[in-house]
Amino acid sequence: MSFDPLSLSVMSHAVSMIAEEMGTVLERGALSPNIRERRDASSALFDAQGRMIAQAAHIPVHLGAMPESVRAVIERHPEPGDVFLLNDPFRGGSHLPDLTMVEAIGLEGTLVGFSAVRAHHADVGGISPGSMPRGATELVQEGIIVPPVRIARGDEFNADLLALVLANVRTPDERMGDLQAQRAACAAGRDGWVALLQREGVERMRAAGAALLDYTERRARARIAQLGAVSGSARDALEGDGVTEDDVVVAVAVRAIGDTLQLDFTGTSPMVRGNVNCPAAVTRAASVFVLRTLLEDDVPTNDGIARALDLRIPAGCAIDARWPAAVAAGNVEMSQRITDTLFAALDDAGVAVPAQGQGTMNNITFGGDGWTFYETLGGGQGASARGPGPDAVHVGMSNTRNTPIESLEQAYPLRIDEYAVRRGSGGSGRHRGGDGVVRRYRVLARCTVTLVTERRRHRPKGAHGGGPGSAGQNLLNGEPIPAKCRIELNPGDVVSVMTPGGGGWGEGAAY
Amino acid sequence: MTESIGIDVGGTFTDLVGVREDGAVRTGKVLSTPSDQSEGVERSLREAGAEAGNVARIVHGTTVVTNMLLERRGAKVVLCATAGATDLLELRRQERAALYDLSAQHPAPLVPPERVVAVPGRIAPEGVLEDLSEDMAAIVAGRVAGESPEIVAVSLLHSYADATHERRLAEALARRLPGVDVVCSSDILPEIREYERTTTTCCEAYARPGVGVYLRRLADRLRALGLPSPGVVGSGGGMADAVDAARAAASLALSGPAGGVAGAALVARLAGFDRALSIDIGGTSADVGLILDGEPLVEAGGLVAGVPIALPRVLVETVSAGGGSIGWVDEGGALRAGPRSAGAVPGPVAFGRGGTQPTVTDAHVALGNIAASHMSDAVRVDADAARAAVARLAAQVGSTVERTAEAVVAAADAAMARALRRVSVERGIDPRSCVLVAFGGGGPLHACALADRLGMTRVLVPPHAGVLSALGLAVAPERRTAIGSVMARLDAMTADSLSSIFDGLAARTGSAPHVVNVARMRYRGQGHELEVAWEAGAAPDALASRFAAVHQRRYGFVLPLPVEVVSARVVRSGDTRAVALARRGEGTWSADAGVDDGSQFTATLRGRRVIALPDATLLVPDGWTARSLEIGGWMVERA
Repeated sequence: MSFDPLSLSVMSHAVSMIAEEMGTVLERGALSPNIRERRDASSALFDAQGRMIAQAAHIPVHLGAMPESVRAVIERHPEPGDVFLLNDPFRGGSHLPDLTMVEAIGLEGTLVGFSAVRAHHADVGGISPGSMPRGATELVQEGIIVPPVRIARGDEFNADLLALVLANVRTPDERMGDLQAQRAACAAGRDGWVALLQREGVERMRAAGAALLDYTERRARARIAQLGAVSGSARDALEGDGVTEDDVVVAVAVRAIGDTLQLDFTGTSPMVRGNVNCPAAVTRAASVFVLRTLLEDDVPTNDGIARALDLRIPAGCAIDARWPAAVAAGNVEMSQRITDTLFAALDDAGVAVPAQGQGTMNNITFGGDGWTFYETLGGGQGASARGPGPDAVHVGMSNTRNTPIESLEQAYPLRIDEYAVRRGSGGSGRHRGGDGVVRRYRVLARCTVTLVTERRRHRPKGAHGGGPGSAGQNLLNGEPIPAKCRIELNPGDVVSVMTPGGGGWGEGAAY
Repeated sequence: MTESIGIDVGGTFTDLVGVREDGAVRTGKVLSTPSDQSEGVERSLREAGAEAGNVARIVHGTTVVTNMLLERRGAKVVLCATAGATDLLELRRQERAALYDLSAQHPAPLVPPERVVAVPGRIAPEGVLEDLSEDMAAIVAGRVAGESPEIVAVSLLHSYADATHERRLAEALARRLPGVDVVCSSDILPEIREYERTTTTCCEAYARPGVGVYLRRLADRLRALGLPSPGVVGSGGGMADAVDAARAAASLALSGPAGGVAGAALVARLAGFDRALSIDIGGTSADVGLILDGEPLVEAGGLVAGVPIALPRVLVETVSAGGGSIGWVDEGGALRAGPRSAGAVPGPVAFGRGGTQPTVTDAHVALGNIAASHMSDAVRVDADAARAAVARLAAQVGSTVERTAEAVVAAADAAMARALRRVSVERGIDPRSCVLVAFGGGGPLHACALADRLGMTRVLVPPHAGVLSALGLAVAPERRTAIGSVMARLDAMTADSLSSIFDGLAARTGSAPHVVNVARMRYRGQGHELEVAWEAGAAPDALASRFAAVHQRRYGFVLPLPVEVVSARVVRSGDTRAVALARRGEGTWSADAGVDDGSQFTATLRGRRVIALPDATLLVPDGWTARSLEIGGWMVERA
């Protein structure tokens, strides 16, 4: 069965629309601001073989990693109507707060696909409120570990299993509401997918899915071939693993070989004690993201991109973490550093890419009696040959929105004293790097704050003669506090986070 | 017998349609007057012989706000924002302009950072934390005055729950700056989320002075003719009176195009289609809309010219391509059309109003696609001048006049086809399942070529195709909306307290017959509301079970949590005016039959044909067949 480009495009968008609708159901039904306001979540549809056909484009770090979840579910022999929950980073997950729900979709008793929703929950237990601990050294310290288990049958939750999960978290009511919304979002995906199959026919959709993946792969390969036989390499590092301050090195050599892009991570640091390690699924996601930025806007985002990549990751290194490694910060911070290093290697190979952006997600978690709150902050994007770097946005692997001040203050004993653009923090150059942001939180009740931030020491680099962006800075009542820390707070304390600026591009003054 | 008159101002022509009480329709068209649109409106009414005794109402669709946003030509606004949160317009919602294009920039905000004034005092969800005293308000007002604003926007944190600080500051500003209007966010959009509320409030302030001047001038002109004050159709498709409209400038951002999609939906329904794409091609731009289940698709809010406006609006996508788009040769030697336009003045070379550069219309004239001599307002078509202009372009690219003209038309087609594709395909709608409703002066000329590009096989050219937007305006229902913040737990309310909220809002919505009461509700802890209808007099229990049913239906679950009423809304609307569209005569069409709007002949015509319509030309290419319709107009199908 062959498809003309318009048919393919209609199919692609029809499936994407279902994924978007899943995201809307989740956002509107959820309780925690991290999901309902910031959309720290992704939804996607998969065919019966577990190939991702479409994803609602929100969070790049989920992009290449969601297929692993479905793969892990398929190993559990799902029956139509089975709904799985998982967060185990070594069995389809990313880091523990990302609870992924996967529904096996049936049509007349046959398995015809999967709808999957991944959402970052504001607490999944472990040693630290908010479950984004600093200094954890084993996965079990970071929260409850959920391998792929059948959490529901159709719309009925397995009450015993749900009780077990909720008994291990600090905020069971909020989790319950968010899980209900996640369940509703999966169901919306199921209904949309079944309706589409009934309209278009199972066979035709199977063929369309394969054709879509092939089409994306063709576009990705054509772009790689266009680069020519280029190669380049780069090294960068995280500023400590939360246990020690030692740099954790990421190294990569990039080679375009014909129409395949080879990414060789040899030279990357071995697994470290702290929790900045990440499973290979996250490394894959970062690689897919970087290649996706080189493609035209109209290319459908699906599993086809990964097919054009040849990934070489040293077994058991910091970006191929294995049990029992702690990984909470790897998903958010190591993923950023992998992205930075890949862009630097592409620049070295002569491919036009922007200077470094803020290179961190600035993870901030507050937790007190009966509540936990998690958010991440934008910063400066790097400038490029095309122009200045955008201000105050997430760069790289995140694109979550901010928490509206009003929503945050309504939900938690926190007040935002200041939320502003951090003027002048972007690097100098012909094109200026983007500015970071300043956010000052005043706490109104006893609680703890956990910060997992980066680029507080190594500033985002400029490119082609541009200056570096300002390093980020964290303060408690005006005094500096570490990039990664956990601190007990009293009412009236003020935590300030200043996020890094992006690197500038080109020599000379900005104009 | 009185008439409802719709007047649509486009870049080139100002169109008028009168619909009598018995449904009879008449039309008129004059050239637009871009420097003051109201001048053309007045002329169209004079020429139509509109008089005090025979006009029931005048409904206007205007592009004044759209143009202000597109050209960034609005008022000088000073924004007063809570100290510590003065950068909201730049911070937006933190998301980047494009997920994978890392250099893409958001458009600059309507109010630059140097014109944002910090306001002391702080309101929190639980009440006033830090007072904004009269004295401090006066100091802020002084600072604002130092910026010499044309208008002031006030958007303070948590004002959806407690507007006292916004009010106090507005009073201080009124004292300090008499005659300068103040727009409070608690009046424009009393809903939680400071960014969305602030950007919508700033848009209102940015557009309001220009809209006010324009509508006052228009009302004066109408009064001088003894005619009623105009109503204006908003982005959502309902009509407001001029006084309300002048204070709802942000909701006029898609005023004209919304009327066009409403007109397209009306004729599509009458012709028996419930799914359609609409395209209105005028002199400077083309507007594309989507009709599902017989109604224009309404979206909850979105961008207009890069400005986020959180108010409901009919989906319309505008591209800068129309009859006046100028053909040119780019650095790479390729022929392009637009986005520069010759507009109404000087206009296409063929119209002889001073245009010297070849336009899309000139290319059509050179190709023999436009039947001469049936244009309104004494516009004559000078075919020789048009050919000569295209010939100059042809010389640049070293090609023939015909091939060059075809390339210019094809370039315009490509831009319009992309818009049709975005509106349908990106919403998962296969354009091939839709009929294409083509109108405006250029719609019937481009329709079949556009349909071919999208694989569509049916084109509906409605009666009055040249003025369909004005028809949509003439039949638009009156609509008034009142919104109030409630922010209360439902279990703390009574039937009486609910009634008094809705009665208070209803009192602000006039006397039209259809009333809809809506409570926006959620479980405590949720961030988004569901809309639940409130039957007059219903008790909280009844509302609670209705909410639970809606929640169950929408999301498949209910929660054991308290329910909150966030806000209440009353929408009161009139009826859509009835319109009688029918073929008026019978006869056999012939090439020299002259102008035909499908109302005079029964005919089935195979392409290629050029059929002169009033103020439009229907081009039926080879491979297409046009059939006259019972309602007038033509159905053109690939066969």
